[in-house]
Amino acid sequence: MAYDADLNFNFVYRTKIVFGAGSLREAPIEVAALGGTRVLLVTDPGVVKLGLAKRVEAALGQGSGGMHVGTYADVPSDSSIDTVERGAALGREMKADAVVSVGGGSVIDTAKGIAICLGTGHRLVEHEGCNTLSKRLTPHVVIPTTAGTGSEVSYAAVVKDAEKHRKILFVDWFIIPDTAILDPELTVGLPPKLTAATGMDALTHAVESLHSLQREPIADALALHAIRLIKEYLPQAVENGKDLHVRGQMLIAANIAGCAFSNAQVGLVHAMAHTAGARFGIHHGHANSIFLPHVIRYNGDACADRYRLAAEAMGVDTRAMNDDAAVEAAARACAELAARCGLSARLRDVGVAESAITAELAEATTYDGSIVYNPKFVGESASLIPVYKAAW
Amino acid sequence: MSVPFPSADWVVKYKEAINGSAAYKAAGATWEKGVVALVCTKKPEIGLPDDVGIWLDLHQGVCRDAKLVAVGEAQKAPFCITGDYARWKQVVRKELDPVKGMMQGKLKLKGDLATIVKYVKASQELVECCSKVDTKFLDE
Repeated sequence: MAYDADLNFNFVYRTKIVFGAGSLREAPIEVAALGGTRVLLVTDPGVVKLGLAKRVEAALGQGSGGMHVGTYADVPSDSSIDTVERGAALGREMKADAVVSVGGGSVIDTAKGIAICLGTGHRLVEHEGCNTLSKRLTPHVVIPTTAGTGSEVSYAAVVKDAEKHRKILFVDWFIIPDTAILDPELTVGLPPKLTAATGMDALTHAVESLHSLQREPIADALALHAIRLIKEYLPQAVENGKDLHVRGQMLIAANIAGCAFSNAQVGLVHAMAHTAGARFGIHHGHANSIFLPHVIRYNGDACADRYRLAAEAMGVDTRAMNDDAAVEAAARACAELAARCGLSARLRDVGVAESAITAELAEATTYDGSIVYNPKFVGESASLIPVYKAAW
Repeated sequence: MSVPFPSADWVVKYKEAINGSAAYKAAGATWEKGVVALVCTKKPEIGLPDDVGIWLDLHQGVCRDAKLVAVGEAQKAPFCITGDYARWKQVVRKELDPVKGMMQGKLKLKGDLATIVKYVKASQELVECCSKVDTKFLDE
């Protein structure tokens, strides 16, 4: 695995990781270590229904001597500016000086937005763009309930601008959460299909980190280990979600894959998944899972060596294979893992009509920030139509 | 003759370079998103006592106007990219791709990242135009 002589990169892993079954009990200690005394809990109705929000509230403590001062549980699966602003208003009303988020990607991104609003006193939209913040924000502790997004260590947040019908990106080192508590006990309630989809999201983060134009050795190391863990443990987590060891390994895999892509970036798989996912209502992880093998084939001639690494991490012996065969082996290994986890493989299986694959869809894909780091430059959007068709 | 960066003379030369570039004309042909402002933050020790804004009125592959502006004015542009002197020097020398610089935390962007990403080729051509200006750097 050679790197060019002019290799140069920055690497940031700012989040403190607290791992272990039962580590939820560490939450008040971690909040206090960050200077927090009054916690706004951010979550969603699903987490509340599973009883997990109550467990976190209890761990933080309520009333005199406790830290929990309010819970904002109105986060939808697709967060918005309004969602963030309402949460921030509650935080101000409660005089919160720390945020704890419990949930998946949408909850964590919402909490990042709330931390921006509370930390700066500004409206969220004032910080649209890259690196607009100049100081650390209100402390943010994340407790993921899925193993996939890696949002607990990433420097990006996406929320919807419902009025303008677009997604707004916030990319900033200051929004990286301070602490992530990875407690497998909080993921045992995740249903098999969501376990599979979020796990394939993590796999895609790892593979895209490997092929990204900004790939570098530290992210590569994390990505390759994440791939090994996901190959081993994702099918087990789907089969037996109560196994804390397996759930824990998937939390670690998702976390380190998240760190890998947060530094190396992602590519065309995410650009297609964001675009198609928003239009057709496909779960992000499932969309990634559908597109991943096809994008590997599309990019194959640009970075076969990277896909050979991915295939080997998936347990394929590529020593006797030429580059084309190694690329195909990587694509097949990803597709077979998804199938083994019960995820459907084609767009038609998730209700997308063939007629929906249009030049306009392909053009919209090129507006996604992820495409910048794809190893093959996507000059003409028309070149993406065969990829969409193959995925259909 | 080399011109100092940033300065009004440099901006004039930059506008000429942009409008002389067939590659930028093609890459930016559909750009109708408005002004792109660049802000170089102050560095008094090299003779840059205040933040400096460069206003680029780009439209359909043409630079209609380019001028130095106060930072407050620059920040009103729909796209405002901010960096310190060392970062802009890297951009002018083609050592730093500005879009990647934003994603890596080296340059700040106020505005819609997705639009900038869509025009990544145009941004690269604008950097190419920078590099054609015979530039004198204040710290050399």
